[in-house]
Amino acid sequence: MAFASKSPWVIHYDASSCNGCDIEVLATLCPGFDGERFGVINTGNPKHADIFLVTGSVNHQNIDVVKEIYDQMLEPKVVVACGICACTGGIFRDCYNVIGGVDKAIPVDVYAPGCAVRPEAIIDAIVEGVAVLDQKSKALKAQKKRGGE
Amino acid sequence: MISILIGTIAFAILAPVVGCLLSGFDRVVSARMQGRVGPPILQPYYDVRKLLEKEHASVNAAEGVYVTCALVFAVLAGGIFFGGGNLLMCVFVITLSSLMFIVAAYSTRSPYAEIGAHRETLQVMAYEPMVLLMAIAFFMATGSFDVNAVLGLDAPIITTAWLAFLGLLYILTIKLRKSPFDLSMSHHAHQEIVRGITTEMSGPTLAKVEIMHWYENVLFLGWIGMFFVWGSPISIALTLVVMVLVYLLEILIDNNFARVKWQLMLKSAWVVALLAGGVNIAVLAFL
Amino acid sequence: MLTVVFLILFPVLAALVLLVVRGEGARKVVSIGSALVIGAGSIVLAVQYLGQGPAFFYISSSYVDMACFAVDVVLMLAVISYGVKYRKWAAVGLAVVAIAMAAYFEFAVAHHAHVAQGLYIDDLSILMALIIGIVGSCICVYALGYMHDFQHHQPEGADDRRPAFFALMFLFLGAMFLIVFANNMAWMFTGWEITTVCSFLLIGYTRTEEAIENSFRQIIMNMLGGLGFCAALIYSGTYLGTLALDEFLSMGSVAGAAVAIPVTCLAFAGITKAAQMPFHTWLLGAMVAPTPTSALLHSSTMVKAGVFLLVKLAPVFAVCAVPAAMVMLVGCLTFLLCSLMAISQSNAKRVLAYSTIANLGLITACAGVGTPEAVWAAAFLILFHAIAKSLLFLCVGTAEHHIGSRDIEDMDLLFDRMPRLARYMMLGIMCMFIAPFGMLVAKWATLVSFAEADLVLLLVILAFGSAATFMFWAKWMGKLAGIAGQPENVEATVHKSEWSAMGLMALLIVACCMLMSVISACVVEPYIATVFGTFDEAISDWNVLISAILSVIVVAILFAGLGRGKAKKAGIYLAGASVDNEGRVFLGAMNKPQPATSRNWYMDSWFGEARLTKPGKVLCALVIVVALAAALMFPVGF
Repeated sequence: MAFASKSPWVIHYDASSCNGCDIEVLATLCPGFDGERFGVINTGNPKHADIFLVTGSVNHQNIDVVKEIYDQMLEPKVVVACGICACTGGIFRDCYNVIGGVDKAIPVDVYAPGCAVRPEAIIDAIVEGVAVLDQKSKALKAQKKRGGE
Repeated sequence: MISILIGTIAFAILAPVVGCLLSGFDRVVSARMQGRVGPPILQPYYDVRKLLEKEHASVNAAEGVYVTCALVFAVLAGGIFFGGGNLLMCVFVITLSSLMFIVAAYSTRSPYAEIGAHRETLQVMAYEPMVLLMAIAFFMATGSFDVNAVLGLDAPIITTAWLAFLGLLYILTIKLRKSPFDLSMSHHAHQEIVRGITTEMSGPTLAKVEIMHWYENVLFLGWIGMFFVWGSPISIALTLVVMVLVYLLEILIDNNFARVKWQLMLKSAWVVALLAGGVNIAVLAFL
Repeated sequence: MLTVVFLILFPVLAALVLLVVRGEGARKVVSIGSALVIGAGSIVLAVQYLGQGPAFFYISSSYVDMACFAVDVVLMLAVISYGVKYRKWAAVGLAVVAIAMAAYFEFAVAHHAHVAQGLYIDDLSILMALIIGIVGSCICVYALGYMHDFQHHQPEGADDRRPAFFALMFLFLGAMFLIVFANNMAWMFTGWEITTVCSFLLIGYTRTEEAIENSFRQIIMNMLGGLGFCAALIYSGTYLGTLALDEFLSMGSVAGAAVAIPVTCLAFAGITKAAQMPFHTWLLGAMVAPTPTSALLHSSTMVKAGVFLLVKLAPVFAVCAVPAAMVMLVGCLTFLLCSLMAISQSNAKRVLAYSTIANLGLITACAGVGTPEAVWAAAFLILFHAIAKSLLFLCVGTAEHHIGSRDIEDMDLLFDRMPRLARYMMLGIMCMFIAPFGMLVAKWATLVSFAEADLVLLLVILAFGSAATFMFWAKWMGKLAGIAGQPENVEATVHKSEWSAMGLMALLIVACCMLMSVISACVVEPYIATVFGTFDEAISDWNVLISAILSVIVVAILFAGLGRGKAKKAGIYLAGASVDNEGRVFLGAMNKPQPATSRNWYMDSWFGEARLTKPGKVLCALVIVVALAAALMFPVGF
């Protein structure tokens, strides 16, 4: 059994969101939805987090930051694009400064569309992300074993 | 010596179990206080197992060594205490453990971890006088610095050292790093200094830190319990009840107070040490 | 007895040779040779006399007495000539009074009290002799490399006064040996005055305005103490009819009231020499001298002479309330306030100075308590403080020459830049304040002895002072521990003599921590048994043993374990906006690279010198004045 699925710690980054999705991400952890039931903790620190929640589209200003935060997270890790802007760029996709969805910067595992994304959708996405986390964790273990032999 | 050895082994094995459950209990009760369901009680265990599964990366090669030292010394401090050893020795070894933890954070040179380390140093300075005065009050009440002296008493030392107990209760919040004194790192999400002292500790290293906190929490509750034990088997039950009540009180405080500024923490902790500790040992010495 | 006389006279001889030797090579040979001889001599002495109880040597001669008097007069004349030259009339005045008192003592008092056994040796003086002989001469060796660099840093054409410097260093050692071996208190007084004047000359070595100013502050304060010593001699010779230390002490421990006045005077002398408040400023001022001087003054000599005298007087303090209260209060207040003020300092040498004064305060307080346990603690505080502090001074001196600063803030990344030095420094720091190292074990014993004597005020002060101690050492150690990237290693040019001195000190720390129970059983406990008759150990042998094992483990980790991890290297967290991660430069709000900087906490508005110095001085001065007055007004009845 992999324990990654039982304790998904998240980090939330606001790329260029209008703050609508950000509020919903925080609402996910509040009493109404209580993400901690699934072990979710908002760490605010890439070094502690397993799941990277990105809201808003990626632009030239923040693409390096998104990449660096992703790089500083330890394997196994999962990226969830929260909201339609994070998924595709949303209504801002044609702006001169917008590059597009988060997948233009880093590999995205789960897409949670919505404007703004509902907390239920975020929880759903996290639970789905947890499954991916499990797979990656197993792969990492197998790799470690091979490395050890 | 033998008892310390046995104590250390027993503490090394049992304390994480207790500490882990305690931590889970903490999270569930906190959630209930906030009107949430909260995680399963074994959540801290899952967290640590997950951290151990993660990739091993570190900003430098020394940090992990320091953290391991901190963990080992915390185990030893607990072993000395529960093995009935010298209370002062226990205090000094746990201080050594804190120092190792602080130096680990300093060694990363991360701005956030460094601020956390500064604040942790300050916290040690804030609670240290009361801890020492507690040990002295213990000595004056029992006539010995050896913890196992409580087993031969006719009445628990709370009867004579209740003031020092109250002082200990005050600084316990600092030692457990609970709000309003969670300056160096917080168990709650997203602080202004990220995760403070543990910012750069990740994966297995962070797991060691978590386990160290379990050990520490059990040890500190042991200090609380020591005030209620006397030479009667009933006292053990009473002690357990008191420990649970004290921990509940800490959770209540944690959930009801916003973090204070360091000035208030230092000033209040020292004033409490002076009044509670100083007056108590004066009374014990002269009356 | 030959060894004792040899140890007193040989350093003086070495000093004379060094005074005339001008070449650097020859000086090196003479210094290292003499240092080895002195070190070996002190070990031989220990082997000869350890475990045999106190031994007294029949040696007395009116010629020696006269010579001592002559030395006193010459020293004071030297002070007068300097005082006139630099127009320091207070020093001149004091020196004149000192000559008058010495002359009165010599011609009106001394012949009443003949001392047959001029020299003695007991376990405490063996301990002191080992510290002086090994730590002291080690510092002299270190000084060779240091003074070479020092001379280089001087402006072109500056005259080379190094021969005088080395001569004074060795003379210092000789005088210290005289202090710890003299049973004739008049001889001891001569040693006392030699150390005073030697350190006066060493502090003023650079002859800058600041150095002159500070050296005169030192001499004025210590001459005051010297007058106290002299007054005690006169009183003792006139009313008690003895000048022998052993008779004086046994008289005192039977009837404390009879010796209240001289003991208070001697305690006053000890307090000035041990740089206790309000006299602590002379030791702070001594920092202007080259670092080996500071190391010598702080660790094995000078201030240790002060606490040695106080520890010797401990059995008298146990029965003599007035001086005991004075010594305890002054010591404890000094410990607390100087520990707090150390937090506010960023100059490494100043931190060390405050920590020295604070620890001397603790030793002073232990002496004042005067119980066997307290004296045990004091002996170990003296031992570990001497070794650890000299190591720290040597490290700071070397670091200063290689990174160009003695500011703790500039020691950032020293762990990378000077890996070996930083580890030595961390060892020294840990030995000063944290379990399981010796200093903390000794502090632990202090705490137990205070608790057993029900000294509530002292216990409270100790608790707060220890907390402050943690703060200022831990933040310094943290600063050293930082690791980032691969900065240039700058320790390749450190002199061999400096390495060997520091290595020996580090080795001594480890050895003494390991063998603490052996030292206790062979040296300290026998001394206490002969002085007090009884001894209850404050800390059980098992606990000392556990500490010994733990300290070896910590040292092993420090020197072998650190940096051996094999984790993947990760960058630090800079909120995702790194520009240069290792240099912790991030992209700031104005879209410009911005280095993250952080300074340690100095809390100047809480613990600054400006805030604490004055109350401390006033309080301690008040204690001393009241005690002196009380001793004079109620010589009996306490």
